[in-house]
Amino acid sequence: MTERLFQAENLSVSFGGIRAVQDLSFSVEQGEIFSIIGPNGAGKTTVFNLISRLYDLDRGRMIFEGDDISGLAPHQIAERGIARTFQNTELFERETVLNNLLIGRHIHRSTRLLDEFLFLPGVRRQELEFRKRVEDVIDLLDLQPYREQIIGNLPYGVRKMVEVARALCMEPKLLLLDEPSSGLNPEETEDLSYWLEDINEDLGITVIMVEHDMNLVARASHRVLALADGLALAVGAPSEIQNHPDVLRAYLGD
Amino acid sequence: MRFVLKTHYGQDVDLFKHSGQRFWYAALAIMVGLAPWIMDDFYLGELSLVFIYAIAGIGLMLLVGYTGLVSLGHAAFLAIGAYSHAYLLGHGVPFPVALAAATLFSAVIGAIVGLPALRMIGIYLAVATLAFAIIVEQVLSHWESVTGGYRGMPVPEAELFGLSLMGSQTFYYLCLALLVASLLAALNLLRGPTGRSFIAIRDSEISASSMGIHLARTKSRAFAISAGFTGLAGGLFAHKLGYLAPDAFTLLTSIQLLLMVVVGGLGSLHGVIFGAIFIGLLPQAIAFLRDTLPPAAAQIPGLEPGIFGLILVLFLIYEPLGIYGRWRKIRLFFDEFPLYRSATYRRQKSYLRTERVR
Ligand SMILES: Nc1ncnc2c1ncn2[C@@H]1O[C@H](COP(=O)(O)OP(=O)(O)O)[C@@H](O)[C@H]1O
Ligand SMILES: [Mg+2]
Repeated sequence: MTERLFQAENLSVSFGGIRAVQDLSFSVEQGEIFSIIGPNGAGKTTVFNLISRLYDLDRGRMIFEGDDISGLAPHQIAERGIARTFQNTELFERETVLNNLLIGRHIHRSTRLLDEFLFLPGVRRQELEFRKRVEDVIDLLDLQPYREQIIGNLPYGVRKMVEVARALCMEPKLLLLDEPSSGLNPEETEDLSYWLEDINEDLGITVIMVEHDMNLVARASHRVLALADGLALAVGAPSEIQNHPDVLRAYLGD
Repeated sequence: MRFVLKTHYGQDVDLFKHSGQRFWYAALAIMVGLAPWIMDDFYLGELSLVFIYAIAGIGLMLLVGYTGLVSLGHAAFLAIGAYSHAYLLGHGVPFPVALAAATLFSAVIGAIVGLPALRMIGIYLAVATLAFAIIVEQVLSHWESVTGGYRGMPVPEAELFGLSLMGSQTFYYLCLALLVASLLAALNLLRGPTGRSFIAIRDSEISASSMGIHLARTKSRAFAISAGFTGLAGGLFAHKLGYLAPDAFTLLTSIQLLLMVVVGGLGSLHGVIFGAIFIGLLPQAIAFLRDTLPPAAAQIPGLEPGIFGLILVLFLIYEPLGIYGRWRKIRLFFDEFPLYRSATYRRQKSYLRTERVR
């Protein structure tokens, strides 16, 4: 039997007059790749910002592994094991890829400030251990050529993948990907779909993905949620959603 | 060109990345170690002052250059370190204990000042820290029983195991040792999780918090550590001054400290050293200027702060990476000769960042 990892209950939030998300409920099973689709401005990114607690809910609550996480601080969300990427990337621009990924290990640190000042053997051991984990992720996503490069000098497609890598370095239980394929060329998108499989099956990470590329969505996801104007239109298998009359209407703007 | 062959991850964790670096740092160490035999007392005193500035600069650099938080009030931490150190010495506390206590005390005040500052960014934070510095200046001027008010207070001689530390050579080595220790501590911090969390906050707060970094706690830590280093410098500075009065710790001092990290090059500890040398030499340069300028121009009130401000602005516009940035470009030119591309350091247009989440 599959277990419920994440559950959203009646999420609502509005900005001024705009009801960005209205009374939205959905649940994500352990081990699933769950996609959220919808036209621009549908409220997809807002859902992610609610989950990562960058926005406060007006109403509703979110359950993760049986606990209510609606009141946690953003850093506590990360500590619980929820990692994310951003639609237009939010990397540490002036640092190398390596340092960006090492920051991804932050929640796994166990050293104290005083030890770090002295760089005691425990700190060195931890650094080497972090580095090994980071290298595993670099190998997984083929980022070897960029290891020492400053983010600011990298092409957009690489940055998108570095952001995914950084999230993976957190070893999350739940990974939120906001339009991972936007800005990627077809070849990179193809790679992305394989990596998604690896992330999901080999690493056992549950994924919620906001995505426009319907091919990718159909190939990679187990279930799809269609949103429009902050409202849920339908949830179901990719093929069902693609042909769902309400979804077609929302996209074609009937 | 130089290629560094890396054979294990430890090399990236190490302080010195290759033997060339080790060689140059050893050469530098020998030079500053032998300076007392070469230089006369005046220059030795100036060099000690540069070391003291550099320690304060490490503190300010961690805050401004690595955490991205601006402070226009660091003279206050210098003052807190200086006064508390002198006060403790005056009450019979042994030198090392007094200095350590002054450092810790400054750090605690830093953490407390950091708290309200956590919700502020940019110009608001600059103004808040400025306000704090003014409050401290007022306290120093009016709390006569402790600080001596406007009259000030003398700084007792420093001694250790009955030996005076005030000889120009001994004091030089004391400042040097503390500078080296401070540099090592800062370098260690920066190659570990805490340093990286500072950098993360500097580059993207929302991203940092989504990586599990507690923004408030980390920023207040940055403030505390920054104030601690600056307070330590303050303790040494007290001996350099010999007599403490509030007018040694004014807005001008704060700007001078900021000038040091900006001119040196934000986001690098090398920059701190360059910056410290720069502001150490500046008074001489200004004095020279006063002598050479026609009297009418030399008597302009506010010449000194004016020059400070001008240099600050010019650097921000033309060399935002500071002296260290310029040095790196020159070095890269020779490293890559004849393949150097002049666009290597050109600032690139950065891509859109997440617009909605700010
Ligand atoms: N911080 C905010 N302030 C004001 N309006 C916002 C904010 N975040 C999102 N919105 C609005 O909410 C709606 C949904 O936005 P978003 O979730 O980004 O859409 P998308 O589905 O394209 O990701 C849009 O109308 C957007 O303008
Ligand atoms: Mg979006």
